[in-house]
Amino acid sequence: MSEHHITPLKTYLVIAGALFCLTAVTVWVSYFDFGSFNIIIAMGVATFKATLVALFFMHLLWDDKKNLTMFIMSLMFLGIFITVTLLDTGFRGGVNPEVEYPINKRAAFYDSLPLTDTHGNPVDEHGIDSHEGDEDHH
Amino acid sequence: MAENQKQNYLTHPKGIMSWLLTLDHKRIGLMYLLGGIIFFFLGGLLALGMRLELAAPGNDFMSNETYNNVYTLHGAIMIFLFIIPAIPGALGNMLLPLMLGAKDVAFPRLNLASFYIYTLGALFVVYTIISGGVDTGWTFYTPYSTTSTSNVIPMTMGIFIIGFSSILTGLNFIATIHKMRIPGLTWYKLPLFVWALYGTSLVQITATPVIAITMVLLILERLLGIGIFDPALGGDPVLYQHFFWFYSHPAVYIMILPAFGIISEIIPVHSRKKIWGYKFIAFSTLSIAFIGFLVWGHHMFTSGQSVFSQIVFSFITYFVGIPTGVKIFSWILTMYKGQVSFTPPMLYALSFLFLFTIGGLTGIFLGAVALDIHLHDTYFVVAHFHYVMQGGTIIAFLGGLHHWWPKTMGTMYNQTVASICCLGVFLGFNGTFFPQFLLGLRGMPRRYATYDPQYAELHNYSSFWSGILGLSIFIAIMNLLWSLRKSNKLDPGTNPWGAMTLEWTHTSSPPHPHNFEKDPVLEHGPYDYDKVVVEPTFKK
Amino acid sequence: MSHDNSSPDFLQHHFHDVDQQYETAKLGMWAFILTEVLTFGGLFVAYVVYRSWYPEMFVGANLLLDVNKGLLNTIVLITSSLTMVLAVWAIQQKKQKLSLFMLIATFLFAFMFLGIKYLEYSHKFEVGQLPGEYYSYMGPEIAHLNNPHIFFSIYFIMTGLHGLHVAIGMGLIAWLIYATAKGNLHSKYYTPMEMIGIFWHLVDLIWIYLFPLFYLI
Repeated sequence: MSEHHITPLKTYLVIAGALFCLTAVTVWVSYFDFGSFNIIIAMGVATFKATLVALFFMHLLWDDKKNLTMFIMSLMFLGIFITVTLLDTGFRGGVNPEVEYPINKRAAFYDSLPLTDTHGNPVDEHGIDSHEGDEDHH
Repeated sequence: MAENQKQNYLTHPKGIMSWLLTLDHKRIGLMYLLGGIIFFFLGGLLALGMRLELAAPGNDFMSNETYNNVYTLHGAIMIFLFIIPAIPGALGNMLLPLMLGAKDVAFPRLNLASFYIYTLGALFVVYTIISGGVDTGWTFYTPYSTTSTSNVIPMTMGIFIIGFSSILTGLNFIATIHKMRIPGLTWYKLPLFVWALYGTSLVQITATPVIAITMVLLILERLLGIGIFDPALGGDPVLYQHFFWFYSHPAVYIMILPAFGIISEIIPVHSRKKIWGYKFIAFSTLSIAFIGFLVWGHHMFTSGQSVFSQIVFSFITYFVGIPTGVKIFSWILTMYKGQVSFTPPMLYALSFLFLFTIGGLTGIFLGAVALDIHLHDTYFVVAHFHYVMQGGTIIAFLGGLHHWWPKTMGTMYNQTVASICCLGVFLGFNGTFFPQFLLGLRGMPRRYATYDPQYAELHNYSSFWSGILGLSIFIAIMNLLWSLRKSNKLDPGTNPWGAMTLEWTHTSSPPHPHNFEKDPVLEHGPYDYDKVVVEPTFKK
Repeated sequence: MSHDNSSPDFLQHHFHDVDQQYETAKLGMWAFILTEVLTFGGLFVAYVVYRSWYPEMFVGANLLLDVNKGLLNTIVLITSSLTMVLAVWAIQQKKQKLSLFMLIATFLFAFMFLGIKYLEYSHKFEVGQLPGEYYSYMGPEIAHLNNPHIFFSIYFIMTGLHGLHVAIGMGLIAWLIYATAKGNLHSKYYTPMEMIGIFWHLVDLIWIYLFPLFYLI
């Protein structure tokens, strides 16, 4: 059996440390509001963490490149799935503007739901009043 | 020779348990073949039932509800239980390790598991039939599938389970093709059937997980009302179609790519000529597999998806035609100036070329948004996909079965009967489905048990020929089975077509339990008819 | 390729040598990882599409999730990933006992993850933040938002499928503990441990995305 690559212990510990730090960073950043950059920052950090896990913990850095190709392929097809679906869902209403948001009608079962407090218990006195107004919100 | 005849995978080891628990890819392939053929007959009977109902206008012998069940089950059984598993599961399992010079597939236990998962899924489908059927169409479009009172859940569970079988087969084949080749068998020396299986497997492992999760979401939508696909709960039914076709369009290539592989084997062998454009065929397989992931929206031109995505999907759809055309021309050029012998496998391959070309060209009609608005959900679509699925895949499957039958079973069928059946299949098929193009153009919608009298003549014609088609396929299969009688054994060294791939030149027919008595050494490429002469040998 | 140990007992008959067997298993595992990514992928697509359709509802609804428990689970899972990789590292170095210890630690961390998840879920069940039509929570923070049940459907399906993977992973790790303790896995043959390790890191990797998507943004 030919020698498999044995990663030094230090590498693993450094990577784990980096993962913990990045987790702290992403939580800390989430307390600030950067508008639409929130998503980009969070996904950027997550992707960086995921890359570290894949390259070092999953050994893709040292492995046969076929395995890396397989992994990248999965991300590529996921990318195709997301982007091409968004070509539809993000651009509806080109011909009939009224169908741009086809589905944001509130589901009917909300009409019979009473308002609750933060523990999920019904708040009776407001329940009946604000019930009427539900439709108008949307 | 007598000693050799005892040592083949069919007779050694013996006993029912040695079959049920076998890890031998050849036996698993045969079990897949048996399962596939059973469901082929079941699906075929349902098809003939539909044609009988449609022979004349009016509900002559089925109610509308029964008809809905019948076409749903016909579609689901044919696609999920026959066409998708049949070629990779049966012929692929049987031949892939032999073609690579390997002793088995990479993961034999996974291979057996995959067969039993298929069986379990099939049991769910059988349960669905017994307990009253399902009436949503094989596509299970929401919102109807979330409200229908028929057995949607057992059926979708069945498909969910069969999906895993398909994934495991694909995964196994990929590892096998990468790692189990004998030394010297480089990528460009592989038989094209192996390339086709490789492309198929890539699509299987990439697309099938998505149908699994889609079926889970559909079941949850019915059970919990999760609101992802149900418009009444704030969901979007068109999103279901995206999910469904992200799998089911590539699944079309899971069905047709192995058929391309079979044709690429049959044509050079029976023309006794080196394949024309080996690399073109190999890479067109991979590019079809890839482009197949970008075109799913052409099934949804009337669904209400955005105009922007309609244009993109329509545009990319045309690209599928390029690699497909490359293949067709390569096959025709292979036959040019070859010594074409009109054996049964070759007759099926020629039928394939004719029928699949019609299927492909009518696909270009349907890929155009403007035309599809008119043709969507008419018999034009029905005829188109039957020309591709039956005229393409099933014809190629029958051709492959006839081509490798002497190899796998060690017997030769009656070739005259087989050829006549092939002619019957060809005529019956065109007689059944060509009128359906005309019906579709004249506006006959699909999925109706009855119709206006103006369509009666073409429907009647179609129904008549469907009988010929069904009978021809039945006799063709019976002819194969009849060849299995004892007195009919071939000499183990038989190579009736003079083929050059490893499974013909380096092992007996039927093969040794461990495939090769000693490790095979590659002497020539799979199609080197210009360099080496391999004479057809045929003796009893 | 070396043929020094011509036919060790862990070499299956259809492989030529140990290297071929190892490489094949690994490629198969990565093909399996690909299918896993796309299985979760379908759910990520649902998340992205619904987030694009209901941006305010998503931002409002994720405030109902407990960031502290999510963060704790992230730390637990990253630690378990580290102990898993150290188990493989130890067995490569012939440190059988250390490897066993690391596997047990991984198992316990996985158990802890599911325990925390259970606390989270049971709170959601109590207050009625449930998927689909079973949704009944109309607290002041969310009553004005449109269709929050969709957020909780996606939350429960994605974290539920992830939790299922954790549970399956626990079963596999339990088997590894048994096999290592019995001495079936050793520095010459640890393929199953490495493969299950890859699976376990995938579980970690998916959580790395689920955590910000549901708890933070």
